[in-house]
Amino acid sequence: MTGLRSSRSILTILLLAAFGWSLTSVDWREGVLNVQGTPALLEFLAAAVRPVLTPAFLGRAVAALWQTVAYAVAGMTVALLIGAVLGTLASGALAHRRVARFGEVVGARATLGLLRAIHELVWAWLFIAALGLSPITGVLALGVAYGGILGLIFAQHLADAPTAPLRALQAAGARPWQAFLYGRLPLVLPDLVSYALYRFECALRAAAVFSFVGLGGLGAELQLSLRELNYGEVWTLLFLLIALIVAVDWWSGEVRRRMTT
Amino acid sequence: MIEAVRLEEVCRRYPNGAGLHPVSLSIGVGETVAIVGPSGAGKSTLLSLIAGVFPPDTGRVFLHGRLLADLAPGRELARLVGIVHQQFDLVPQLSVHSNVLAGRLGEWGLARSLLSLVVPQDAALAKRALERVGLLDRWNERTSRLSGGEQQRVALARLLVQNPRIILADEPVASLDPARAEDLLALLTGIAAGEGKTLIASLHSVALARRFFNRIVALRAGLVQFDRPAAEVADDDLAEIYALEDHVR
Repeated sequence: MTGLRSSRSILTILLLAAFGWSLTSVDWREGVLNVQGTPALLEFLAAAVRPVLTPAFLGRAVAALWQTVAYAVAGMTVALLIGAVLGTLASGALAHRRVARFGEVVGARATLGLLRAIHELVWAWLFIAALGLSPITGVLALGVAYGGILGLIFAQHLADAPTAPLRALQAAGARPWQAFLYGRLPLVLPDLVSYALYRFECALRAAAVFSFVGLGGLGAELQLSLRELNYGEVWTLLFLLIALIVAVDWWSGEVRRRMTT
Repeated sequence: MIEAVRLEEVCRRYPNGAGLHPVSLSIGVGETVAIVGPSGAGKSTLLSLIAGVFPPDTGRVFLHGRLLADLAPGRELARLVGIVHQQFDLVPQLSVHSNVLAGRLGEWGLARSLLSLVVPQDAALAKRALERVGLLDRWNERTSRLSGGEQQRVALARLLVQNPRIILADEPVASLDPARAEDLLALLTGIAAGEGKTLIASLHSVALARRFFNRIVALRAGLVQFDRPAAEVADDDLAEIYALEDHVR
């Protein structure tokens, strides 16, 4: 215990020293904040009450929003497939023999780790290099990165399912995959769905950012309007994104409510 | 007498000193036996050993003349022995009929098990079982919406569908009010009598044991305190058990 505490103090001192040293690299004469930026910031905030609502721009914005939703839905579909298969294997729930289970779990966990370790934007760059700029690139990048995260969470939930109902199924003669279908999966399904819905919300935001790597959608429109310093348009797009997230949040709440009552 | 269950010098010890040390017992086919005794006397351990949940440290368990350790887990064991617990151990998210039909999993392959979640297989069997426990009208309901007493009946229906020759019940009425406890025991003993099954149940209440079972085995600290026909169990014997329970507490 004292060993842990003293090594923690050493770490604290090291981190403080690193922070102090980093201050020497700041050029204090220029000023830390960009003072010229203040009027631009005020102008941006003022535009919040005057979003651009012309039919032509609204049409473009809604089309971009729809494209982003489509990326997110397609990406989540790929992610759910990867997550369901690898997550089930990584939970070790299906193998009876210890050696088979060990191989399955380690293999699936390692694959999930690889998928998850790389951020979706980096996956997007990799897929652009391989496949070029196409919607498939965005969908795959999102699907692969999120599949890794979903698989890990699915595996943890499946492995932590309550054991008493599973033992009762075994006593009734169920084999491991039958116990999985009639016990493990239904026992944790509400949690899995709940987490997948939360991830869908994240996927929407990620899909919006994907536009910045050259894929169309809400992010591309945002970038365009920002470059033209048309803050009114920027706010229209932001409000649409907020409305979308709120709508998805309401919908996932409804789904959760229905699954638990 | 044809033996349904035979325990030969069966031992199972836990680090805290609880368990069974050692117990020998012979139970005939069609007998209804109540295992009574204070908490920690080894009632649950005894039932788990007969159900094959875990093996004994030493000694042998025979079911219908076959050594339990030689029986394959799964279908073979499920046909011989089935158990209901105090915490009925159902899957609350599944429909009532899926929980009941889980008793058939030992007999089904993958395709049939999967299909049954959508289109119930062997539905007639499950309906008969649910009718028997008085819950046929809840066929399609989500199990979590049922009360504790109703869930206990669903667990019993699952056992009826599994149709083992020996029925074990671990504190089946511990979480039920007195009226429902009597109903459930009447149902359980009625099933055993009607179908010539062997019934072994652990109970806290000796009064219920005397009313519903032919034979009472009292355990104390992992040993058999007495073992005799229910009709011959005297009030003095009961006083002894309760006094011991007070002493343990």
